[in-house]
Amino acid sequence: MLAKTTLKNAFPIIILTVIVAICVTALTFTESITRDKIKAQEEQKIQHMLSAIFPDMSRYDFTNDIYTIYSDGAKVGYAFLAVGKGYGGDISILVGLKDETTVKGITIVSHSETPGLGSRIAESSFTDRFIGLNVEDVALRQEGGQIDAITGSTISSRAVIDAVRTTAMEKVKQLTESEGRE
Amino acid sequence: MGKFGKEFIKGLIITNPVFVLVLGLCPLLAISTSIDNALGMSLAVLIVLLGSNAIIAAIRRFIPNIVRIPIFIVVIATMVTIVNLTFHANFPDLYESLGIYLPLVVVNCIVLARAEAFASKNPIVHSIADALGMSVGFMLALLMISFLRQVPGTGSLSVFGFHFFTLPVLGKNPIAIFILPYGAFLVIALLMALFRRTGVMKL
Repeated sequence: MLAKTTLKNAFPIIILTVIVAICVTALTFTESITRDKIKAQEEQKIQHMLSAIFPDMSRYDFTNDIYTIYSDGAKVGYAFLAVGKGYGGDISILVGLKDETTVKGITIVSHSETPGLGSRIAESSFTDRFIGLNVEDVALRQEGGQIDAITGSTISSRAVIDAVRTTAMEKVKQLTESEGRE
Repeated sequence: MGKFGKEFIKGLIITNPVFVLVLGLCPLLAISTSIDNALGMSLAVLIVLLGSNAIIAAIRRFIPNIVRIPIFIVVIATMVTIVNLTFHANFPDLYESLGIYLPLVVVNCIVLARAEAFASKNPIVHSIADALGMSVGFMLALLMISFLRQVPGTGSLSVFGFHFFTLPVLGKNPIAIFILPYGAFLVIALLMALFRRTGVMKL
């Protein structure tokens, strides 16, 4: 009698456990068959973004968080990720440098800025403003730099500009130090 | 009209998930800033709702009443994750545009509410009709709200990079309040009031 009620009480738990087990199996299975493809997609995405900044790229190296870009065996530049604090969250930016001082171009990788306002940082009308600038000149015009903020999106613009400048200076330091060691 | 058609059509107006059932408002308020977002979110809801309604209707006889909610949530979360991974691996472009909306669907109460209120009590075919109707009803509401926010809020209308028009004065001085979060509350409240006043929908 007691055993019967215990079994009855345990029934929902058993069903729930079985369903969770089925779901976990299905998830593990899906993860295992998609893992390699997802990795390949991510790599392709990075390569795509790098070649948008460096059209003549033939291959790249990735060491110490810095991509070194080569074109036919010759070094043509560096690229790295910079993260800025925007109005709506983190802004992730891929920065390309021609040499240790000059910006080759930038691409906004991801952001969550207000659509229609801050989201304009991802448009080429804004990102093109960085091309060819000296790293030290990457600052708002009213703060002694060379870049105009987007009207109505000063916070987002400043986040991108400051992230590019500070990260670039950091990386340039890192690059010259490692070259000095060689 | 058959039962299938009836279950489908009710989601559009009579029990519209947004204006009548008032479900799924959190993601709706957050993403109704542009037509692009509205279409992306609607597609994500359609895919997940179809799957979860069908699965739950299929296993509804085995679900003990007291653990039904955990089971619904596990099924929905599994569905979303599988769809997410599959899209990421096979349709990278679609994944890029749906990427942020798919995970959001887990917390979209339309999906859970339809599992609880409909799929757990009805056969598979009707549950699929219900899922289709609710998704289309959600999409219509979302498109309406997004349009009314994007046009005054940015002064122009462009969908997936295709530019339709720019308003003369607003184009230069958009009314930013419509794009900001409180604009969503304003627009949805005005629409609800309008639909109630004209008798199109009853709350």
